[in-house]
Amino acid sequence: MTSGRFHGQWHLKVFLVLLAGLLPLEYYGKVFERGIGHYLKWQNHKRPQLGRMWEHDRQSIVAQNKIQSIRSGIDDQQRSADSIQSLKELFENVVPAFPLVVTRQKFLQLYNDFPGQWSERIISPFELIEIDSGKKWDRVLLKRFGPWITVGFLNLEGLPIKESFLSVDALYEVQSTRTVKRGRLEDSGFTAERIYPIDRLLPVLKTLDLETQKTLFPDPRWFLEKDYHVTRLGIQNGGSGTVQSHTTLGIEYDTDYNTGVLLIPVPVEITYNILSLVENMEGENTLGENPSSMDPSGDTP
Amino acid sequence: MIRRLAETLCFTLFAVFIFAGLTAFGLYFALKDELPQLPESLDTLNLSLPTEIYSADGERIQVLGDRFPVSFSDISPHFVKAIIAVEDKNFYKHHGIDHIAQLRALYINLKERRIVQGASTLTQQLSKNLFFSFKRGWTRKFKETLIALQLETTFRKDEILSAYSNQVYFGSGAYGVEEASQVYFAKRARDLTLLQAAMLAGLPNSPHTANPFKNYERALKRAEHVLGRMVREKVITAEESRAALDSELGLVEPRLETNPNQYFANLVVSRLEEDYGREFVHFGGLKVFTTLNSQFNQYAQKAAESHLEALEDDMKNQRGELQVALVAVENKSGAVRALLGGRNYSTSQFNRAVSNNRLPGSSFKPFVYLAAMENLHYSPATVVRDEPLQITIPGSGIWEPKNFGGVFAGDVVLKKAMMKSLNVVSAKLIQEVTPAKVIQVARQFGIQSPLGNNLSLALGTSGVSPIEMAGAFSVVANLGIYNEPYLIERIEDFHGNRLYEHYYQGVQRFSQKMMYPLSDMMQGVVDRGTGRIVRRMHFDHPAGGKTGTTNDYKDAWFNGFTHDYAVSVWVGKDNNQPMVDSHQRGLTGGKAAAPIWVFFLQKVLAGKNKVKFPVPAGIKLATVDTRTGKLAGENSLETVEVAVQDTVDLTPEPEKIDPFGFMDFLRGDRKELRRPEQDDEESENLPFLMQGTGNGVSKP
Repeated sequence: MTSGRFHGQWHLKVFLVLLAGLLPLEYYGKVFERGIGHYLKWQNHKRPQLGRMWEHDRQSIVAQNKIQSIRSGIDDQQRSADSIQSLKELFENVVPAFPLVVTRQKFLQLYNDFPGQWSERIISPFELIEIDSGKKWDRVLLKRFGPWITVGFLNLEGLPIKESFLSVDALYEVQSTRTVKRGRLEDSGFTAERIYPIDRLLPVLKTLDLETQKTLFPDPRWFLEKDYHVTRLGIQNGGSGTVQSHTTLGIEYDTDYNTGVLLIPVPVEITYNILSLVENMEGENTLGENPSSMDPSGDTP
Repeated sequence: MIRRLAETLCFTLFAVFIFAGLTAFGLYFALKDELPQLPESLDTLNLSLPTEIYSADGERIQVLGDRFPVSFSDISPHFVKAIIAVEDKNFYKHHGIDHIAQLRALYINLKERRIVQGASTLTQQLSKNLFFSFKRGWTRKFKETLIALQLETTFRKDEILSAYSNQVYFGSGAYGVEEASQVYFAKRARDLTLLQAAMLAGLPNSPHTANPFKNYERALKRAEHVLGRMVREKVITAEESRAALDSELGLVEPRLETNPNQYFANLVVSRLEEDYGREFVHFGGLKVFTTLNSQFNQYAQKAAESHLEALEDDMKNQRGELQVALVAVENKSGAVRALLGGRNYSTSQFNRAVSNNRLPGSSFKPFVYLAAMENLHYSPATVVRDEPLQITIPGSGIWEPKNFGGVFAGDVVLKKAMMKSLNVVSAKLIQEVTPAKVIQVARQFGIQSPLGNNLSLALGTSGVSPIEMAGAFSVVANLGIYNEPYLIERIEDFHGNRLYEHYYQGVQRFSQKMMYPLSDMMQGVVDRGTGRIVRRMHFDHPAGGKTGTTNDYKDAWFNGFTHDYAVSVWVGKDNNQPMVDSHQRGLTGGKAAAPIWVFFLQKVLAGKNKVKFPVPAGIKLATVDTRTGKLAGENSLETVEVAVQDTVDLTPEPEKIDPFGFMDFLRGDRKELRRPEQDDEESENLPFLMQGTGNGVSKP
C-alpha cells in the first residue's frame, strides 16, 4: 500500500531526480548562490541606495553641494564686486552685516574714476601712496556699522593697514554729488537755451579761480583717459517757487558707443556768475563777429 | 522498513525544501525594498577626501576621515593567508556562503538556544560592514547573505578581500590594514612579518580585548591561535609558525593623544559643525587653516605641567588632580594663538578653556571699575573709603563683603584699591553704579556667559570661561577695541578655492581715553599689586593684569596682557575642591596661575622688543597721594602714579590735607597707614580659612 502510494507520487520522484541532479551542481558549481546572485545583480538598479556605504556617499554629496553653494555665493559676491562701476555704487552696496571686499586694483580703478574730489575724503592720494609703499596692501574691506562705514585697507593676512571712517551722511552726500547718466542733456531736463557748445562755455570756466574750477569740473583726465569726447555743457535751473541752493551743471560727452551726461551740483551763486560771464562773452562775441560795426577801417590803435 | 524510512526521509526533505523555498521567497518579497543597491566598484568605498586642519605655523594638527586604502598587491601575502585562515578558510571555495560552517553554527546555536557562534564569511562580513547595522537579527542576516551572494557574483575574490582589508576595524582607532600596520608597527601593510600579520588578522574579531596595546599577552595568544590555524590550513609549516613566534613582534609605542593641540582642533571641528553641518566638515575634503601657533601651545603645556607638578608636590594626599586652562589671544586681531583645555588630552578631553565656566573672583573687578569710571565719571585718582560695610539686600539679609586679610585701608584711590584688590571698594562701586551697568560693560568686553544681576557680581560670583576673559582683557590692551577671539583664518576646498576667510572685525567699544586709565591701573597690579609675582619672576615686558581667587581657593586665575597678547590662565580642580598646600595655605591666583602665565609669555616673547603701551592724547600721568587722590606733596606718605583724563583736576585742596593721618589714626587704621607697602603676597600666605570664607570674600 505504502509502496503503491510512493510509486503513485510522481512529484516526489521528480523531486528526488532533481535533488540528485542539483546536489552535485550545487556542491561543485554553487548554482543556487550564483542564480540568486545573478538575479540580484539583474535587479540591482531597481533597489534603493541604502545603508552605511550609501549614507557615506550621500554625506559626501551633501558636503560637495554645500561647498558648491558656498562657492557660488562667493562667485556671486565677486561678480557683483567686479561689476561695480563707480565709487558711488560701491558705497551704496555696503549694507549692515554684509561686509564688502574689493581688490586693491578695483578700488584704485573706482577711486581714480570718480569725477571729483569726494573720493579724497575717504583717503587722500598721499595716504594711498603711503599704504601702497609697503607692498602689502591687498584688498579693501567696507563695513557698515551703525551710522558709520569703515573702509579697511587690508594686507595679505586680512589685517587692516589703515582704516578710515565715513559717516552714513557722507554717503548721502556722494549720492547727491556727481552722477553719470546715459543720454543727452535734454533727456536730463536741460532746456535748449541753457545748453552751450563746449567752445562757448569752456572759456568761461577757464576764467574761474582754481578752487571753483575743481568744484565745477572734473579733472580733464577723467574724460581723456576714457576717450569721452565732451561736446556740450548745460546749466539746469532749479524749480520755480522754492529757494534753491544748488543747480546742476551737465557735461555731455560722446563715447564710441553712446552719449552720456555727467551731472554736477553747483552752488547757485556760481551758476549765476557763470551765466553772467556767458552772457558777457556772448555780447563780446556778437561784437567780434561784426568787427566792422566797431571799427570800419579795420585798424586798431 | 527501510523503504518506509526512505519514503519518510524523502518526504521530509521535500517538505523542508518546499517550506524553505517558500519561506525564502516570502522573505525576499517582504524585504526586497530594504535590500541596498551595490556600487559599480568597491574602490569608491575610500574615495572621500579627508579634512585637514592646519595650525598657523603650518603643522597639520588634525585629519578627519583619513583612510589609507591599498591595492591587493600592497597587502602582505602573510596577512592575506592569515585573515583567510582565521576568518574564512573556504573563502576561495565558496560563493558567499560557507554551508558547512553555517550548519555547524546552526547546530551549536540551536543547542545553546542563543546565538553563540557565527559563520559569516568574509563576504558576508563585508556586506554587513558596508550596508547594515551591527544589531544581530535573522532578517539582517538574511539581507546580509543575499547581498553577499550578489557581491560574489559582481566582484572578483581579490576585490572583495582588499575591500574587506581596507575598511575593517583593527582597534586603536585604525581602520584598514594599512593604517593598522602604521599604528601598531609603524610600517607599510606590504612589509608585515608573519607574526605581525597573524596579530593583525586576529584583531577584527576582537579589536578591544586582543589589542596588543591594552593586553599584550592576550594579543600574543590570539596571534598564536591564528598561526595554528594557518598551520592547520597548510598555508605555513609548523616550523614557520615556531620561527614566527620566536621572532620580534616590533610593536611600537601606542599613539597617545597627548598633543595639546587636540583641544583646539576639536573646538575648531565643533565650531565648523555648528556653522556648516557635520557632512561639510567630515566629508568635504577641506583644508582648514587656523590661528593656532603650535609652538605656543607647546610652551603653554610645558609651562602648565611643570608648575602644576611643583604645586602638587606640595599638596600631598588631596583628592582630585589640579587642572588648567590657558588661552592666548593676539590683541591686534583677536586670533587665538594658544589654547590649552586641560592638563593632558589623553586623560581628559573636556575643554576647560571654553566649556568650563568657573567663578573669576577678583579678576572680574576691572569691569566694575570701568563701569564706575564710565557712569560715575570716576578716575583712578578718585578716593573711596575702604571700611567695614553692610549692605541690606531685600529678601537675602545683610551682605557684608570683607577684604582678603580682614584689614581695611581707609581712604584709598581707585588705582591702589585695584592694585590691592580691595573687595569693599568693589562692593561700594557696584552698589553705586548698579549691577545692571556692570553687566552692560562686561558684555561690551565680550563676556557672553550668564551674569547674575546682584551686588556680589563685583567679586566675580558669575562663571566665565578663560577664552572670554582673554578676549575681554585684550580690549584693555587694545585701548577699547574689541576683536572677538576667533579660531579659523580660512577654509579651502580640495582644489584650493577659498570658501571662508576671516576678516578683521575690530570694533571700538570704549574710547581710548576711558580705557587707558584702566590699563594703567592693571599695570599697577603687575608692578606693585597682587600680581607682582610676575615681576618677581623677572618678567620685564610692559604688562597689566589681574589676579582672581574664589572662596575656599577653588579657582585661581591670572588674566593679563602685554602689548601683543592677552592671556588668561585658570587653575582648579574638576571636583571643585579647595586647593591647599601641605601647610594648609590656599593657592591664590598669584601663586597657582600667574607663574604659568609668566613661564608661557617668557617663552613666547623671548627675543622680542619690550613694547610699551601707547599713551593716547588727552591723558595725563601724575603722581598722587593714595589717600587724597590729589597731586603728591612733600607730606604724602604713600604715592602712586595714575593716568587720568586731562580734565581731571588733581590740584590739592589745602584744608583737606591730613599729612600725618591724624583722622585715620582716630579711626583706628593706623597700622595700615604705617605700612604703606604692605602687600598681599603676605596675605596670600595666610593660613587657609583664617578669615571668613562666607559670602562676600574674594581673594586678590
